[in-house]
Amino acid sequence: MKFQLKNIAAVVAISLSFASCSNDDDVNSNTLGEGNLKLEFDQIYNGADFAFNTAYTNSNGEVVKVDVAKYIVSNIVLTKMDGSVYTVPKSESYFIIDEETEATHLINLPNIPAADYTKVSFGIGVDKEQFDLGATGQTSFLQTAQDAGMMWSWSAGYKFVALEGKFTSSTVTTEAQFKVHTGQTGNDYNYNTITLDLPDNALVRTTITPQIHIMADLSKIIDGTNVINLSDGATIMGGEKLPLITANLSNMFEVHHVHND
Amino acid sequence: MLFFQFGLAMDKDSIATNPFAKYHLQLEAFDFCDACGCSASGGSMGFASMLNSNFVGIRYFNQSYKSNDGLYTNSPWYNQDFNTMQIWARIPVVKKVQVSTFIPYHFHSRAIENGNQKIQGLGDITVLGMYQVFETKKDSTFFNHSFQIGTGIKMPTGKFNEANAGTVNPSFQVGTGSWDYLFATEYVIKRKQLGLNAMLNYVVKTENDKQYRFGNQFNYAGTFFYLYETSKYAIVPQLGLAGEVYGTNYQYKQKVRNTEGDILFGKLGFEIGRDQFSFGANAMLPINQNLTGGNVRANYRWSVNLNYSL
Repeated sequence: MKFQLKNIAAVVAISLSFASCSNDDDVNSNTLGEGNLKLEFDQIYNGADFAFNTAYTNSNGEVVKVDVAKYIVSNIVLTKMDGSVYTVPKSESYFIIDEETEATHLINLPNIPAADYTKVSFGIGVDKEQFDLGATGQTSFLQTAQDAGMMWSWSAGYKFVALEGKFTSSTVTTEAQFKVHTGQTGNDYNYNTITLDLPDNALVRTTITPQIHIMADLSKIIDGTNVINLSDGATIMGGEKLPLITANLSNMFEVHHVHND
Repeated sequence: MLFFQFGLAMDKDSIATNPFAKYHLQLEAFDFCDACGCSASGGSMGFASMLNSNFVGIRYFNQSYKSNDGLYTNSPWYNQDFNTMQIWARIPVVKKVQVSTFIPYHFHSRAIENGNQKIQGLGDITVLGMYQVFETKKDSTFFNHSFQIGTGIKMPTGKFNEANAGTVNPSFQVGTGSWDYLFATEYVIKRKQLGLNAMLNYVVKTENDKQYRFGNQFNYAGTFFYLYETSKYAIVPQLGLAGEVYGTNYQYKQKVRNTEGDILFGKLGFEIGRDQFSFGANAMLPINQNLTGGNVRANYRWSVNLNYSL
């Protein structure tokens, strides 16, 4: 029996020696250099995978079918585990997410210092500081926004969010157009900043490009903390409702998960 | 989520042909579930005639799952079909010690948004040694008991696919890519034709070279069996429960959320033996499950095997 136990012991010993041969090329401690980070903006409607021209019922009973959904994402800031931040250079930090164009859903951020990131923050719209640089200070993003229909005019400024489609309600029984465009008004600039905690750390390395999967719940624009009745006015581009909609944007985004592949 | 049962069923699935002895039933059951579709639930229950019997056999097992990406309230469910053909052998090396080897070949498929994804290839080869700590010698005792302990190693002979690890079911793999270690115990109690087999095993998973580590896994099973013999055949119907508990997976030493889980199956099967050959079949249906945060559900498992007593 002793002999047999020795055999078993030998098998275990050999096994453990294999285990200790495992990869020592540990990326966790290797935070030199720079890598890429991707932000994915995945549009949903009240939890469901969003689709155009699909009937969704809001909490107020109104039924909407969306055919335009776009918004500007800007000024991305990443927070590291130690609390320090990395700010993406302003000249490279303006993007339009257009549901209709899938390529716009994924933002690739190059030259990110290798680190473990725990938070991401970004603005919805174009910040006042940038706008105040005037038309000549806007770089190529101005043209991009014009091409995407995300400008009213230079003086009126950028559209931060555009949500359009058709709706019906108990009082509006034949399908009617609705248009929600946010942006600056006479009294309010209406730019807001969203900060999201990452449920999994994003491990940026020279060899790892994390992808942060962000859910953007379009229903929250009009059916969020503030419920907007389209039946009371279906073209919202200013007025007292716009700050309510801007406030709703604060709860529109959520990080679902982070891939570190 | 290592929710695939490793069909390391260490059965002595063969029937006695020794003319000098009555059938001497010895059941052994090991279900080593593994992270990678690698394995099977075993039939777990086998039966054999003689101590020190050797066998070589072939086994096919199928595992059906469905999964959901968990992203949306209207995410569709897609089916996943895991198939394994396994050669296994059990050889006594010295008195009271037997070594078993399992060589699986996997061919898995799953539905994806636009069609089908298939993976196939050699799986992770396992070698397991079991030591007989105790066994009742005589038929004259009221109960016959047998107790075994063992340890083994699972080698990364199957290819680990890093891209699949990032999908809803990280276990859509033919291998974990890691050296894993098995620790097993088995207890059998018999009274005349009726018996109960109880087994526990624990699988320690290590980090693979992609710095992904599947969660450790605890498996347990209890199976009642009955030996019915005629002059030519031995038939052993079996009924029992089998469960698996999975720890969290890690990637770059960071927990991968929603990868832990557990599942309990009911199982039903039989073995039939004649001369050197035995044939077995069993089916398992989930009673209760919570795998990968509810995004993966087991539908059923079944297996058939044919063994030849050496």
